[in-house]
Formats: sequence, structure tokens, C-alpha cells
Amino acid sequence: MKRTVWMIALLAAACLVLAPMAMAKEIKVGGIFDQTGPTGAVGADYQKGAVAATKFWNDKGGINGDMLKLISNDYAYKIPEALNLYKKYKDVDRVFVIQGWGTGDTNALRPLVNRAKIVFFSASYDGNLTDPKKNPYNFFIGTSYSTAIRLAMIYAKEQGAKKVVFIYPDHPYGKNPIPAGKDYAKKLGLNIGPDEIVSLRAMDATSQLLHMKKFNPDFAWIGGTTPSTAVIIKDAAKHGINTKFMINCWGFDENLPRLAGKAAEGRAFGMLPVAPFGADVPGMKAVVDSAGGKKYTLHYVKSWVSVMVMVEGLKRAKKAGKLNGPGLKAALETLKDFNTGGLCAPITYTGSDHRPNTTMAIGGVKDGKIYLVKDVNFPRKKEYIGW
Amino acid sequence: MPCGLFFETYQKDESIFPTLWVRGWMIALGIFLLAFPFFAQTVSDWVGINMLNMFILIFIFLVGAHGLNLLTGYTGQISLGHGAFMGVGAYTAGILANLGWPFWICLPAAGVVTAGVGMIFGIPSLRLRGLYLAIATLAAQFILVYAMRNWEHLTGGSAGLLVPTAKIGNFEFDSDFKFYFLALAFAIGATMYLKNVARTRTGRAFVAVRDRYLSAEVIGVNLFKYRIMSFGISSFMVGTAGGLWAFYITIISDEHFTLWLSVQYLAMCIVGGLGQVLGSIFGVIFMVVLPEVLRIPTELLSGIFPNISDIFASLREMVFGIVVILFLIFEPDGMAARWHTIRAYWKLWPFSY
Repeated sequence: MKRTVWMIALLAAACLVLAPMAMAKEIKVGGIFDQTGPTGAVGADYQKGAVAATKFWNDKGGINGDMLKLISNDYAYKIPEALNLYKKYKDVDRVFVIQGWGTGDTNALRPLVNRAKIVFFSASYDGNLTDPKKNPYNFFIGTSYSTAIRLAMIYAKEQGAKKVVFIYPDHPYGKNPIPAGKDYAKKLGLNIGPDEIVSLRAMDATSQLLHMKKFNPDFAWIGGTTPSTAVIIKDAAKHGINTKFMINCWGFDENLPRLAGKAAEGRAFGMLPVAPFGADVPGMKAVVDSAGGKKYTLHYVKSWVSVMVMVEGLKRAKKAGKLNGPGLKAALETLKDFNTGGLCAPITYTGSDHRPNTTMAIGGVKDGKIYLVKDVNFPRKKEYIGW
Repeated sequence: MPCGLFFETYQKDESIFPTLWVRGWMIALGIFLLAFPFFAQTVSDWVGINMLNMFILIFIFLVGAHGLNLLTGYTGQISLGHGAFMGVGAYTAGILANLGWPFWICLPAAGVVTAGVGMIFGIPSLRLRGLYLAIATLAAQFILVYAMRNWEHLTGGSAGLLVPTAKIGNFEFDSDFKFYFLALAFAIGATMYLKNVARTRTGRAFVAVRDRYLSAEVIGVNLFKYRIMSFGISSFMVGTAGGLWAFYITIISDEHFTLWLSVQYLAMCIVGGLGQVLGSIFGVIFMVVLPEVLRIPTELLSGIFPNISDIFASLREMVFGIVVILFLIFEPDGMAARWHTIRAYWKLWPFSY
């Protein structure tokens, strides 16, 4: 009896000592996520997707033998905390690729990552990150916000809209695409009403909506996250406002019908850069399996794709023998119509254009579920790189 | 050999480092701080925290915390606006630096402008005390942050303001290694200043105002003057800290300077020990180090339990709150008082009579 205990103890000790030696080379990935901050409602699923996707690729053999190690940290949407994490990842963990989150902090880190040559995947699809001349090391996987807002304007125009209004939080995320949207709305001959500011943590949007009602727009853009969007839509229904809402990609997900109820039906239209969780596309099986029976939102899919693209880049970089920041950047720029299994439109990066794609879907709400209204595509014009 | 400290002159009694022993330790600390950056990387790799970054943040916030300690600890005036005051300093420094002003003018200018703003918002302190003053300074916090966010052509609005790196002549503080020494110099300067100001006529007037303002006025302390002066000096220090911070992180937005920062500053002073120089030092170290340390278990365990960061992400704030409450209950005089108790214990050990 005593001997067995000793044997087990020895074995355990040996495992502990030998385990690090037996492990293959590790590729560390810095993770800057918001789980508890103002965007935590959508950020929590994003973080879970990134963790699950990393595990998925590691189970499939990692980067041709090298295992990924995602160091996930919550920064609660605070820029100083993101800077702290960045300094830790850069100097202590010595990563050359980071999975980041928000528009404010991605833009704050932009000069730093480009100087340090660290590839930065953001969950912010801010159009001005797509110009490699200014930001060679910034990448993201979804259709950019400014492309989305232009597509939303086109859709509104098609539906016979004459007047539009922009509703957004006073945050870099909310404000960034607005100039592009206004510019394009003007080109389309739409009448633009006064902007309304609804914060990410709003509990009530009555005053903004009543003010908007005076202008009575046919369509309104919402550039918030799901909880604040639900508030706006519910209040609009309460006050009998018939405006239809085009919602940016972080404000429209599977939770919206649950939060806004009947009010969302026929009123809420979301710009979807990726397929909703559980959609009928070939790539979705692995995503759903990784969730272990839980139901997540499409934000889970976004980070899944982000990790998938990163893994593909790393594989190509390893093949080229340059497993570092510049190597990964060069490898990513060789991606051409990279097929994500239908999770999102094929992704292409080039040395002069970091827009991943310009195709997305418009989603609506019916019977408490998301359905696809139509696929929309914006021509990939040179003049729209970087904004 | 004497069995205690016996000072024979007032100069000796008032000296900052009274004994050879203390002086020795201070020199050791100085050498340690100066040498630290050279082996910071090794320590960082070992503990998994970016040590250089942490030390720089400690130094920067130390300047500000000393400022608030002067106001709250020594003069007894509460302020919930110091987070925003720090922002005023940061924006002043940032805006001037963007105009091409040299660093060595930007930083004092940041202090002076913040001192002016602080003195204006300190005027209510003449009539208001305690909770009422807290509310008045709270208003300052909200007004200033509102201005930072909405005065867009000056502050860049919610997108933030990019600040160039600090430069003196041709020497650029562009790496953490170089900035460390700059921040260290300011931290030492602020510490020496606070230690000294407490021993002057002004410092005694501050303490008199704190302990019993009526008696202070009766014995001839001009309440108005000293309260405003205290607000001014305190804001100057916190504004300088803000300027330093701006030059260090090179991007600032109004989100850096929320009410949360003001509360953190107060927490630093209270946890560390109000009215003591050591207090703000301990408080700042505690407040900067704690969140970093709380991150370690998450990262270590995330290999085994991938979803642990869910739990720990919210746990961090809770632990933070609990620790502050525990301090208030078990050591209301702060960490500095506990430090003195521990020191006294060892001084008399093993005969603690």
C-alpha cells in the first residue's frame, strides 16, 4: 500500500518535471479582452470564442507542431489597462501577435505595435486600421465599420428612405464610422438629421428618441452594443416610432430578440460580418462543437474566425521560416480569398489594402430569431482604403 | 552605548534621517532603485509582471498621491476631483507638447495650470467641510471630465490625444528604461518636498487647520489662505503627475481620468495612512501592485481551466474592495501605522517592555 502511494507520488513528480520538456515549442499570443467593462456584454462571448478556437487548433496539432498559448486578460475597456497589458505581452511574454479588442485601445496601441512590429488582430473593425501605409501591423477579419455603414445607407436608400439619423455612443467605436456614413449618405442624396448620443450603458433612450421623432427619419444607424441597442429599440416601439434601425455589428446578435422582444421584429436590421452562431455553413460544425453544448452569440464566431486567420498566417509564416512579427505580417498579406468555411466572406489581405472583405449580410429578426435578409457587397474601391 | 534615541539639539530632533542605521538603509534603497532597471528584465521574466512598467507607474502615481496626502492627510480637506486634476495636467502637457513646446516647460506648465484649476475649485473649501466639500469637488470632477470629452478641437474628444515622447535637448525618453530614471527623480523630489513642507511654518499651519480650524483661526492662521494654498500645492503635484503620465503612455483620453481614479487616489492615501509620507508610498505601491498580482493566478491556472478568467475577471475588483474594507477595519491608520508597529516590535525584541 505504502509503496503504491510512493510510486504514484514519484510518477506525479516525474510528470511535473518532464512535462515542460516534453512539450513542443510554444507560440504565445497576447489576449486583451473586455469581459467586465462597458462592452463586456458582447466581449465575454468573444473571449470565450478565442479561447475555444485556440484549443481547437492546438488539438489539431497547433502550428505544425508548435502549440498556441493564448494569454487571456480582461482589461474592462480601459485604455491605460490595455497599455499595461501590452507592455507585459511585449516585454515579459515577448509575443509577436496579439488578439485585441476595442477601437479606443487599438488606436492607442497603433503607434506602439507598429513600432514594435507586433501583429495586432483587433475586434475593432475600424476603417482607418485598414491602410497598411499607416498601420502595417493592424489586421482584423470583419467587414470594416465604414464599409458596413455605407452598405447600410445603400440598403436604406433601396428601401425608399429619404431621411436618416445616426445614433451612437460617444466612444471611438461609435464615432469612427460616422463621417464615412454621412459622406456616403450625402452622395446618395439622403437627408441627414441631428445626431443622437446614447451611451453604451444607457438604461433609457426616451429623450433622444423623442428628439429624433421631430425629424422623423425613415432609417437610423445605431453604433452601440447589444444592450444599448435593445434599449433604443424598445423605447422606439413604446413611443410608436416607425423608424427602422440599421445596427453595427456589435449591436445585433442572438441576444437582441431576447432583450428587445417583439419590438425588434421588422424594426432592427443588423450588419453581420460573420454568420450567426449555429448557421448552416460548413465551417460552423467545429465552432458549435467547441462550445460544448452551450449556445453563444455570433461574437463567438468572430473571434473564432480571427484565431483561424491568425493560425493560417502563422502556418504560412512557419513554412517560410519566419515565425515573427514581420514574417506573420508578410504571410497574412499572401492570403487571397481565404475560405473560412462560410463563417464569413473570403478574406484577402494585400500589402496595400488590409480590408479583409467588403461583403456582409443584413440580418433581421423574426419570431425571436435572427434571419438573413440579404447578402450585400460593396465594391472594393481603392479610394475607401483607410476610412 | 545608549539604549534609545536621545537628541540634544532641536536640529537633531528635526532631522529627516535621525540615525546612522536609517541613513544606511536609505542609501541601500537609493542604490537599489538606481540599479533596479539593469536587472528589471530578469525579475520580470521570473515573476511574469512587467517590473519596469510597474515601477514607473508607482513613481508617477506617488507624485500625485503625495499631492492628495498633503491636502487630505495634512490639511484635512477631502477631494474627489484629483483624478480630473491629474487629467488637467496631462492635457496641458499634451497640448503644449503638441504645439512644440519643450518637455521641461510643458511639465511645470502642467503643474501650474492644474494648480490654478485646483485653487478655483478649492474656493468652496472656505465655507464647506467634510461631506459638502466632497460633493463640491465631485462636481469639479464631472465638469472637468465633461470639458475633456467635449472640448474636441483642444482635447481630441473621446478619440484621445496623442502626446509625443519626452525630450530634453537631444535626449529622448523613448523607452521604459530611460523613463524610469525620470519618473524616479520626480518621485524622490515629491517625497522630499512633502517630508519637508510638513516641518515648515506652512506645514504646521496645514495641520492646525486640519486638527481644529477654529483654534487655528484664533491663533492667527489665515484659513482662507492656507486652504487655498493647500489646494494649489496639491493640484500642482497631481498635475505634474498627470503630465508625466501623459508623456509616459503617449495617449490620453478622458477615460483615464474618471471618478474611479479619484477614488483610487483617496484609497491610496487611506490604505497607506493619511498624513504620513510613508503612507502615500505604501498606498501607491499597494494599489499598483495588487491588480498585477491578482492577474498571476488567472494566467497560471488558465492552462488547466481555460474558462477561469471569467471568474477571476470579476473577482479582481471584488478582492480589491474587500482588501480596502479589511484595512479600514483592522488598520484604520493605514499601512504606515502597521509598519511603525512592526518596527517598534523589532526594536525592542526580545524584551518588549
